[in-house]
Parts: sequence; structure tokens; C-alpha cells
Amino acid sequence: MKEVEIHFTLNGKEYNLTVPANLTLLQIIRARIGLTGTKRGCGKGECGACTVIFNGRSVSSCLVLAPKVDGSEVLTVEGIGTFDHPHPIQEAFVEEGAVQCGFCTPGFVVSSYYLLSKNPHPSEEEIREGLSGNLCRCTGYIKIINAVKKASEKLNG
Amino acid sequence: MEEAKYKYIGRSVPRIDALEKATGKIKYMSDLSLPNMLFGKILRAKYPHAKILRIDTSKAEALPGVVTVITHKDVPGLNGFGIVVPDMPVLCKDKVRYIGDAVAAVAAETETIAEKALSLIEVDYEPLPIVDDPEEAMKEDAPKIHEEGNIHLHTEIKRGDVEKAFKEADLIIEETFFTGRQDHTPLETEGGVAFVDEEGNLNVYVGSQYPQRDQLQLARCLNWNPKKIRVVSYPVGGAFGRKDELSIQPILALLAIKAKRAVKITLSREESMIAYWKRHPFKMHYKVAFKNDGTLLGVDAYLVEDKGAYSSLGGPVLNLAVEHACGPYRVDNVHVDGYAVFTNNGIAGAFRGFGAPQTAFAIETIMDIASRKLNIDPIDLRKKSALRKGDKTSIGNVLSTSVGTELVLDGIRESNIWKNREELRKISTKPWLKRGVGVALTYQGTGLGVGIPDYGGAILSMNEDGSFSVRVGTVDYGQGIGTSYAQIVAEAMNIPIEKVKVVLGDSFLTADSGPTSASRGVYTGGKAALIASEKMKKTLKEKVSKLFKTDEDNVEFGFGYVYDKVSGNKVTYEELAKNFKEEGKLPEEEGYFLVPTAEIKIENAFGLPHHIFAFSAHTAYVEVNTLTGEVSVLEGAEAVDGGIVVNRQGFEAQVEGGFVMGMGYGLTEHLAIENGIVKNPNFSTYIIPSIKDVPKRIETIPVINPEDTGPYKAKGIAETVMVATAPAITNAIYDATGARIFSIPATPSVVYFAIKEAESEENFD
Ligand code: FES
Ligand code: FES
Repeated sequence: MKEVEIHFTLNGKEYNLTVPANLTLLQIIRARIGLTGTKRGCGKGECGACTVIFNGRSVSSCLVLAPKVDGSEVLTVEGIGTFDHPHPIQEAFVEEGAVQCGFCTPGFVVSSYYLLSKNPHPSEEEIREGLSGNLCRCTGYIKIINAVKKASEKLNG
Repeated sequence: MEEAKYKYIGRSVPRIDALEKATGKIKYMSDLSLPNMLFGKILRAKYPHAKILRIDTSKAEALPGVVTVITHKDVPGLNGFGIVVPDMPVLCKDKVRYIGDAVAAVAAETETIAEKALSLIEVDYEPLPIVDDPEEAMKEDAPKIHEEGNIHLHTEIKRGDVEKAFKEADLIIEETFFTGRQDHTPLETEGGVAFVDEEGNLNVYVGSQYPQRDQLQLARCLNWNPKKIRVVSYPVGGAFGRKDELSIQPILALLAIKAKRAVKITLSREESMIAYWKRHPFKMHYKVAFKNDGTLLGVDAYLVEDKGAYSSLGGPVLNLAVEHACGPYRVDNVHVDGYAVFTNNGIAGAFRGFGAPQTAFAIETIMDIASRKLNIDPIDLRKKSALRKGDKTSIGNVLSTSVGTELVLDGIRESNIWKNREELRKISTKPWLKRGVGVALTYQGTGLGVGIPDYGGAILSMNEDGSFSVRVGTVDYGQGIGTSYAQIVAEAMNIPIEKVKVVLGDSFLTADSGPTSASRGVYTGGKAALIASEKMKKTLKEKVSKLFKTDEDNVEFGFGYVYDKVSGNKVTYEELAKNFKEEGKLPEEEGYFLVPTAEIKIENAFGLPHHIFAFSAHTAYVEVNTLTGEVSVLEGAEAVDGGIVVNRQGFEAQVEGGFVMGMGYGLTEHLAIENGIVKNPNFSTYIIPSIKDVPKRIETIPVINPEDTGPYKAKGIAETVMVATAPAITNAIYDATGARIFSIPATPSVVYFAIKEAESEENFD
């Protein structure tokens, strides 16, 4: 497989890597950089577990191939907030009970982050629309919707 | 209120591991990477049913970058696993029985090389006739999947005189029902790492529901001392029963042993859906007798379970279906005849509800038909026969533990949608959109049943800083038992919950607490943790009485400290820990709890009866598009008796998640297998509910019904909360359209044709 050289910024840090051209951004994040908060639930753009912010837009990182990563700016769940310094969205997910097995949670956090950055006061319909690319098998989604509402309040007073 | 006296029990306590999960910090087993690790891939069968004539791995072995190739020849112990009957080969030798059967496996330097190596393995097959209809499979002359024949289990129960009941009946309802092959689709597929460490211990890090049983099953396959197998199975990205049985573990372990290096396997979604466990589809024929006043006179049910290719827990699933076939109702004339039958339709095993969702769909549809034919309110009809404490269940055991049937029916009557159903069903935005409300009732045994070892275990130790660690073998895969254990220990020890560290699912570190299944996690592990806490308090009392030279009876527990009520002297846990340390070692206590069982045993029905039950009543408010057959669930509600609630937020989360999983079961989910081949192994074709499909509101109504044997009088709710949702929805579809659904999932085409049939019968009033 052809290798490509890529330069990009992830969570504010610069990376220079040489990787096979068919590697996905998801694989780069997980296997090359070693950040495992971004999950694989399907590898086909169907579940949203791998959602990251890529050049300012939320995307399924399992669908982005290495050559596209060159020159890009990427934000993952770890870049949004950490255990010691969580983001209000992450706090809201915890407080509202929106986390069960948690495997979908990073993807939902990133999608919520994107949604709230574009639309600080989303209606319930807009939340559903904004998170419609993310699947969760545990929660039934109600508490996730509540968490996004709460995060919106936290962020905007 | 019972819970008002508690600091933690009954409160909404955020999950103790939630922040680690929401920040991506926690490592699931499929997130682990080890230095110098190899990647494993599994070669699956080419045919759903075939003889293996030859396996040649030489070309794969010669491929640069391939470190190990394994076949059946490399299995040193028993080439089989299975919780009840170990009939599933680790790697098939002379026959494959479903399309996911494993034939060989490879460990290589990269995933790409491993993938390439699979394509170089040559296997010659002689295809055999495919057995895909369980009833055909039962016939004498059907091709045999296993030598012993295709009937895995036959369980028949007779009580009273069912023929006499039909003679005396005012109303007889006779119908046939079908249920789908639901895939658990935990968001994390089967995955993890294995390696042998310097001490010669085999380490297997794969998310599962019972590390100690995995350890024993692996020992049997590998011929390895179980004491030298460490299975770590927490955290897990969802399980729902799927991860109760082994999947990739024996292959992963074999690769690691043979390669003498760490190996990682993570299944793709497709491979996971094709190769591993499902919910058993059932065909059910019911004949049910009623009196005009609604009395349930008799039930004759014939159940056929599509077992798929291997046993796993299919026998116990059938038995639980038999036990729950008549619903939580008093009925004295019963004949339930159940068969679990092998086919080449994939494999099926444990899944939330364990046989109850299938029979609940049948019996609750019949209750709905009866309520309309007899003109009795559906809740009143159910109440008429609802089991009460002291009653005999349909299979003849006397209910001596807490029974919440009437409480949940009263609870659901007060739900928003039931109270307002007359107005709600009239709402019409378009002439072709029809609305309706349906109700269904169910119950679910907590624990494993008679004759099966059923115990909880917990080790509680004091740490140097005065905090405590509780170590329980059960696994938190999203239900929240870890948080419940922390609440129970914090409450019992009277300490801040932050001072309780919970360790789960590790065969070396945690006490064996049985499987994390059968809604038993909080009940068993929680009770064991409570018992360990009581012992710990006794040890601390002794210590403090010596310290303050006072009588043990004078020693009391404040919030985070211990004191002598006579002198007022107090000592914090931190100081106490120091004191213990100086004099030797920190205290550690074990708690074990044997789950009480029924006094009787049902002949020829292993595991029956259950003794402790959770109860729930569900309602659904739906809108049906009569032009397309599409159904939207607008609102739902559940009234649930799970004993005293330990974590209010966790309780709601289970109810909401269970209701939505039940929606999927009722409306969309069925893994289609045609001629043994899976047709929809991905999320674009196998549809689970998305955030856009779920109702605006799912009302959670806990009923207060203490179960005296449980920790702080709790039972378990994990399964019942999903079980009755599908029939509540299909009954609502009837309420909206007059179309009766006998087959789930009620996909648009099922609903559309049911509407057409109802119209042609013109019998809807
Ligand atoms: S893993 Fe990328 S969308 Fe599922
Ligand atoms: S919390 Fe388990 S999949 Fe969402």
C-alpha cells in the first residue's frame, strides 16, 4: 500500500506521520496517536461512535482517509475536556445519567459540542436532528437529550 | 417513605464511572494495545452446513508477517465450549453448522497481513442440505445437524385439565405467533487482547458477563490450569446477554499461546452480527380459554424455538419461556409444550428477557383480544387473574416472595397516556394517520432458578487512606451495578460514596458472584457487599472498643468516623486505617449470599421454577400511517416493581433504555437469514431505534414493593423493563387501526398487510 506523509493538528498538537494511504482518520487517532476515546462501532459511517470535529465540522472519522487528513485540524473527545478538566457538556452527560455502557458517549459528546457551537439554544427537535447520526443501545436517548439541554444552559447561563 | 431514612439508597446517584467514559479516559478491552502486539483474524465457514474435507494452511503460514496459523489441531483440550453443553467447536474439525463457524485463525504483524493470510487458507467442503425451518428440522428424516438429532430440548408442563377448560369456556382464542431474531448490537463488538505473562499466567482481556466462568471454559479448551488464567472483563461497551457466553476468547488465547506474543482481535460489525449470539426466534401456537367474566380458565401453548446451530443457553431460554408462557396470571389448567430445535440459522443464546419477550408477545396479544371480545377493560381483565402473593404460578409453584402485579397495573392506570387515552386516540393530524394506546403486563424471574448454583460474592477491604474497596465478580456493562454496589457499601458503612472504590469483573481480583445476567447483579452482588459491610463494621467495632477501652456496644458509626458514645472519643477511618496498618494488616472481609430458591422443583424442566420476580406494566401511544404501515411511538410508560429502588436515576435509565430496545424488537429488528446466509449484517439494513425514533417521553413509575431478601429490599429490573414493550405497541396498533399483529417485528409491510386484512374482514367496530 502506498504511504503518505501527513501533517495535521490534533487537539492543538501538531503531528507529522507517514501512514498507509488507506488508513482512516479513526485508525490514525486510535492506533497511531494512541487516543482511544474515539470509538469504532461500525467502521462504515453508520453509528457515530467515531465522531470528531474535522476542519470545523463534525464527521465520522472512520470515513476520512489519510490523504485528506493532511493539513487538517482535528478535535477529539479528549480535546473537548479531560477527566480533571471536563467540559460542561461532559459534566451534563454525567449529571443527567446519559452515560450507561459509555461506548457511544464520546461520539455523542462531540456531536453535542458541534451542535451547541452552531446553535447554542437548540430546540428538542434540533437536538434530535443534530444527534441523529449517533446510535446508542443502552439509554433510550431521553437522558442524552436532557443532557444536551442542560449543557446548553450551563454554557449560556 | 422507606428510602427517606437513607443517604444513598433510593437517591439519584450519577454513575461512578460516567466521567471517565464521557471524557474518553476509560479503556475498554478493545482499546487496549500492548507492545509488540499481533493482530488476529478468524476464517469463517464458507457454507452454512457442510463437511470439511481438507484444510491446508501452508500458503498462509508462508506469507511474510504471519506468525501463527491455528486450526482444530491446535486445540489442546476440549474442542468445544458452551455454558450448558460444550458443543460449539473452538475451531471446526470435520463439519461446519452455520455461516459464522470458525475454521482457522491467523495472528500476523498487521491486520492487513492477517486478512491476506485468511484468503490463502484452503478449505475443501462438501455442502450439506441446509436446515432452516425448525419444524421441518424436528421431523425424523430431516438432515441432522448434530449426531444426536435436531431436537436439543423438549420441555412439557401439564397442570389441571386443559381439555376440560376448553369445554367449560365461554371464549376460546386460538392464534399463531412469530417473533424475530434480535441482535443485541452492543456498540462495542467482541474484542480484546490476550497474552501470557512472565509468570506463565494467561491473561485474557475481553469484555464479558462472567469472568470466572470464562476462566473455567477456557481452561477446559486450553488444558490450562484455571488458576493461571486471568480474565478481565470490565468495562464493557454493552452486552445485554450477548457476552454471557464465550465468543472470540478461546481463539484469541490459542493464538497468543502459540505465537508467544500478545494478540488483539476486534470484530467488525458485520463479522459480529454474522458470527455471534442472537435472540431465539419463536413460533408459538396458543389456545386460551376464558369465562365471560374474564376468568382465565386454561392455556395450551406450543412453542418452537429456533436454536440455531449450537446449544449455549438455548435450553434454559426455552424453559424460561415455558415458565413465563402464561404471563403473570393465575391459571390452573395448563399445557405448555416447548421444543428447542437446531437449525443452520446462525447461533442464539442469552438475551435480555431470556424467552419471556417471545411468550409475552403472544399471551399479551391474547389478553388484548380477550378484553375486546369480552368487553372488559384491559387492565381490569389482567387484574382479574393477576398473580398475588400466595398464589400458584401457571407451572405450580407458590409465590412466597414479593409480588407486584396489581401494584404495577394500578401504577400504569395512572400514567399520562392511559389516563388520557380516550382523548389521545382521537387526535388526528391527517386522515390516514391513526392513533391508539395499548397496554401489556409481564414479569421476570430474578436469578438462575432451582438447581443452578446461584450466589453473590464480595470482598470488602479497607485501604491505607481509610477508603474502602469492594470487589465483585459481576460486570457493569451499562446497567450501573458498580454504582449500586458503591451506594450499598457507602450506606452500610456510613461513609461518603467517594470513599468506595469498586472493582469488577476480574477473575484474579474479585469474588466469584455468578453471572451478570438474569436481572441478578444488584440483588446478589449487592447483598454480598452488604453482608461484607456488616462483617467489616463488626471488625471495626472490636478495634475501636479496644482503642477507647470501651464496650463494643458503645461503639457507633458517624458519617466517616467511628466513636464511643460514652466518652465521645472519635476516630476517623483514616486514623483507623493507620492504626490497623501499624499493628499488622488492614482488615478485609468477604460476604457470600446464597440466593433463596423455591421449595419445589419442576420435573424435567431444569432451573424451574424461579422464586423471586420483578413485574412491569407497559403502555405505548402510537401513530400508524395506514397508507404505508409505518408506526411511530409517540409516548411510553412503564410501572415497574423491582423492589426498593437503589438508584433512582439508574432505574429511569434502565426503563427508558429497556422500553426503546423493546420498541426495536417490536417494530424493526430481525436479522434475516436466508438459506443460512445473513442478509442484513450492518446498521443500514438492521435497524435499531435512533434518537429520531424514540418518543418524547417515557414515563417511569416505580412502585414501592419491598423484597425482604434483597439488599435494602431491592430486586432486579434489567430485563422486565424491555419485555412487555413490543406487545404494548402491537396492541396500540390494533387500537389505532383494527389491525392485529401476530408477527414481530411489525415492519411497515407486516402492519400494512394486517390493515388490509382487517379492512377486508370489516370486523372492526
Ligand atoms: S465507527 Fe464510524 S460511524 Fe460507526
Ligand atoms: S451508553 Fe451504551 S451505547 Fe450508549
